[in-house]
Amino acid sequence: MVRQQIIFTTLFIVAVALTSCTGKEVGDGPDASAAAGGHPPLSEQEKLIACADCHRDATPEIHQQWYDSRHGIGMVKCYQCHGTFENLAVVPEKSKCATCHMAAMDKCPKDKECSSCHSAHSFTNK
Amino acid sequence: MALSRRDFLKRTAAATAASYVGMSLPMDKMGLAQAAEVDKWHRGSCRLCGAGCRVELGVKNGRAVALRGVKDSRTNFGYVCMKGMLFYKCMSHPDRLTKPLYREKKSDKFREISWEKALDIAAEKFGSAVKEHGNDSVAYYGSGQALTEETYFFQKMFRGGLQTNNVEGNPRLCMASAVGGYITSFGADEPIGGYADLEKAHCFFIIGSNTAEAHPVLFRRLMQRKLGNKKTVKVINADPRLSQTSRIADLHLQFDPGTDLALLNAMAHVIIEEKLYDKKFVSDYAVCKKGKKVTVDLAEYKKFVAKYTPEAAARICKGNMTAESIRKAARWFANSKGTVSLWTMGINQRKRGVWANNLIHNLHILTGQLLKPGADSLSLTGQPNACGGVREGGGLCHILPGHRLVAKEKLRHQVEAAWGIPAGRIPPKPGLHTMAMFSAVNDKKIKAIWVNCTSPMQSLPNVSHYAKGMESDDVFMVCTDIFPTLTTEASNLVLPTAFHFEKTGVYGCTERRSQITVKAVDAPKGAMPEVWIIREWGERLAKVLNDPVIGQCLAPFRGLEPDYALPKAIWTEYSQKLTKDRDNDLRGATYEVLEQMADGVQWPAPTKAHALTGGTVKKFVRGMDPMADSHGKDDKPYQFYGPAHPDRKLWIWLRDQADPEEIPDASYPFYLSTGRIVDHWHTMSMTGRVPELLRANPYAFVEVNPKDAKRLGIKPGDMVEVESRRGKNVLPAKVYEGPTEGMVFVYWHDQHPDRLINLVTKDAFDPASKEPEFKICACRLKRLSGPKPLKPYIV
Repeated sequence: MVRQQIIFTTLFIVAVALTSCTGKEVGDGPDASAAAGGHPPLSEQEKLIACADCHRDATPEIHQQWYDSRHGIGMVKCYQCHGTFENLAVVPEKSKCATCHMAAMDKCPKDKECSSCHSAHSFTNK
Repeated sequence: MALSRRDFLKRTAAATAASYVGMSLPMDKMGLAQAAEVDKWHRGSCRLCGAGCRVELGVKNGRAVALRGVKDSRTNFGYVCMKGMLFYKCMSHPDRLTKPLYREKKSDKFREISWEKALDIAAEKFGSAVKEHGNDSVAYYGSGQALTEETYFFQKMFRGGLQTNNVEGNPRLCMASAVGGYITSFGADEPIGGYADLEKAHCFFIIGSNTAEAHPVLFRRLMQRKLGNKKTVKVINADPRLSQTSRIADLHLQFDPGTDLALLNAMAHVIIEEKLYDKKFVSDYAVCKKGKKVTVDLAEYKKFVAKYTPEAAARICKGNMTAESIRKAARWFANSKGTVSLWTMGINQRKRGVWANNLIHNLHILTGQLLKPGADSLSLTGQPNACGGVREGGGLCHILPGHRLVAKEKLRHQVEAAWGIPAGRIPPKPGLHTMAMFSAVNDKKIKAIWVNCTSPMQSLPNVSHYAKGMESDDVFMVCTDIFPTLTTEASNLVLPTAFHFEKTGVYGCTERRSQITVKAVDAPKGAMPEVWIIREWGERLAKVLNDPVIGQCLAPFRGLEPDYALPKAIWTEYSQKLTKDRDNDLRGATYEVLEQMADGVQWPAPTKAHALTGGTVKKFVRGMDPMADSHGKDDKPYQFYGPAHPDRKLWIWLRDQADPEEIPDASYPFYLSTGRIVDHWHTMSMTGRVPELLRANPYAFVEVNPKDAKRLGIKPGDMVEVESRRGKNVLPAKVYEGPTEGMVFVYWHDQHPDRLINLVTKDAFDPASKEPEFKICACRLKRLSGPKPLKPYIV
C-alpha cells in the first residue's frame, strides 16, 4: 500500500515537472516562490530538505541515473544545475553546464542544448 | 488512498538526518537571481579549499553575479564544486561588516566608530601592552585563507616591528603535521610532485581523507582516472569511516581510529618481506633514522617492521581489516607503475600526526614511488593559502619567510637585512604555537591579540576552555573579518575587510603553485583591504611606541594605493628578497608573470623564463627543477637539496604504532571523529549565507553505525546527546553505514552551541607539530528524543 502511495506521489511530481519544462529561471518576486520551475510549494522548513532526499523516492529512476553518473559519484548535486527552490530550472540553461564545462562549449554544437547529445542525469552520449 | 504531498515530505524528512516540519526560517532572497549576462569575466582563484581551482568571476554593473571554472587551468580543467560556483553570493550579503565596531568591555554593546578612531585604539592597545607587559604580551593569529601579502605583512610588523615571534595561524590546526612529515622525511616542506601525477597514476592510496567532500574537484580528477581505467588503476581507501570517497575504491580498509600507524608499518613489512622494495633507489637516496641524529642500517629497519606482520596489524586495527587485505594493499602500492598517496586531516590532526606522515613517506621511499611520473606522496592542503601564505610566508611562530627557522641566527639576519632593520631586531626565541598562544590568553599573559580571517571561538578543539580567555576583559582582541562570527562576538574591536576579488593578492595551493587574484569589484563601502589596515595601524604604532624601526618596516609601502600597488610592492619584497635562493624561490613569479598565466607558477621558479613555463612540476629532479641542477652535488638524477637534511638523503623512519591520547572506555565507549561536509566551508560564516549551500546541509548531525544505533535504540532523526569529558552536543542522528562500529562522526561547520562539535573534541596535540588531535577522542551517546524542529544558526 505504501509503495502504491509513493508511486502515485512520484508520478504526480514527475507530471508536474514534465508539464513545466520551460527552461526559464524564476526571479525573486514575492509570488515567485510558489511556482518556481513548476515545483510544488514548500514551507520554509521543507526547503531545508536536500533535493535528493525527496527525489530518491519521488523520481527514483532519475535519482538512480544521477547517483550512478559521474555527477553522482563526484558529488555534483541537484542544485548546482537546477538551482534551488526560488530559481529552479527543470532544464538547466547551457550557461549552467558551462560553469564547469567551458572546454566542451568550445567544441560542441552552438545551436543545440547540451541535453540533445548528453542524456540528462546519466550524461552518457545519446 | 493516496499519500498527500505533505505526508510524503514528512515521511521523507523523517528518514533524513535533519529536516523537520514546523519551523519557519526566514530566507533572504538575495543572490537567487541568476546572472543572465556578464559584462566581464575576471580571472582568479577559488576562495575556499586548498585545491587552488582557477575561476572567473562574472561582473555586471560592478557587481559579482556568477562564477565559472577556467578550462586552461591545470588545477581544475574548468571544474568547480558547489562552493566554487556559488561563493560570490556572499559578497553582497547584507550581513557584510562595513563599519569598525568597538567596545571597551566585552559585556558592552558594540558601537560604530570611524576608521581613524579604530586604528588609534588598536595602536594604543598593542603599544601599551608592549610597554607595560613586554613584547611577548602581544600576538597575531592568522589564517590559511589570508593572502600571502597579508600574512607576510602582518608577520613583518609583529616580528620586525613589535619584536615578538607570537605569530601563528590556523594552518597549525590542519597542516603542521604534514609540514613536520615533509621536513623530516624529505628535508623540505611541501610535496615533491603535484596534480600532474593524478592522470598518470596507476594506484591511489587515499588515507585519512574524504577527498570527495573536502577536495571535490581533485576527487573528480581521481574519479575520471579510475572510471576511465577501471581495470588498470587501483584505488585503496583506508579510513575508519566509509565515505563518498569510498565509492571509487577497489579496496576499503576500515579500522579503529588511531590504529593506522600499525597498518602503514604492516604494509612496509609486506614490502620488505616480499622484496617489493626498490633496492637501488633506497641504496642511492635513503637512510634509516631512529632519531634526527641516530642513523641505522636497513637491516635494523627490517628488524623493526618484522613485528608488524599483517596478522598482528589486523588484530590491532580491527574493523574490516584482514592480513590478506593488508598484503593486497601493499602489493598494489609497490607494484603499480605509479602510486600517489593522498591524505588530509585523518592523518594530520593526530597526537602522532608527524609519525603518520613519516610512515606514508616511508612506503614511497622504500618502493621508489616518488619523483617519477604518476608517483608522489601528496598531502592535500585544507585551505587556499596555508602553503603559500603561512608555510612559505612566515606565518607560524617558528618560521620566517622563505622556510627559514627563527632559531637560526644566520637566517634571522638575512631577514633583518632584507627589511633594512638592525641585526638582532627579530627575537631569537620562537613564539607560542596556537594551543600555547590561547593557553597564554587564558593565563592572562597575552594582553592584546589580533585575529585575522579565522574564528578560533569555533575552530579550536575543546573550545569552551579557550573561550574563557578570549571572552575575558584581560585580553584586548581585534578581529578582522567580512562577517560576524563567534569570534567577532568575543572581540573588543571588529574591523571590516575586503573579500576575495575585492582586493589583490596571491594564494599558494597544495602543489607549490602560486596564483594571483586581481581586484575585480569594489568592497562594500567601509570595508578595507587588510594590507591598508596593517600599514595604517603600523604608522600609529610607530608613534605610540616612539620606535623608528617600525617606520622602517613600513617605509617601502608608504603612499601606495591599497588595491593593487601596495600588495604588489609587498609581493615584490617577499618574492625578490626573501625567497632568493631558498627552496621556494619565487623570483620568477612576479605579478606580471602571474597575471599572464592561466594557473600560476609552481616553485622553485628562480627566473621569469622558468616561471613562464609554469615552473617546477617535480622538485629535486634534474632537468625539471632548476635548483636540482644549480644545487646538485653529484651526477645522480635526483638531488635532495632541502634545507633540513644536510646529508641530502631521504629518511626512512622507525616509528611505532602509538595510541591516540584518549581511547574509549567503559564511561565513554565511542570514538568521536569530525570532518568537513561538501556544501560548507569551515565555520559556515560564508557558505551559511548562500541559500543553496545552507539548505543543502543546514545543520550538523551525528553519523551512527546501524549496529550501534540498534543497540542504543536510535532511529534516523532522533535527537542524540554526544558527550565527552569536555562538553556535549545535542544533534539529530543519521544512521548510516559510514563510521565503523563503535565510532561516531560529526561535521564541524555548525555554529549553534548545541551542535558545535569542538565543544566536545580534545585539545591534546602532537608533541612535534603541535597540531591538535581533532580527529580522535572518546565520547558517549544517549538518545534524548525523537526528531525535533531545528533552525539553522548563523551569528
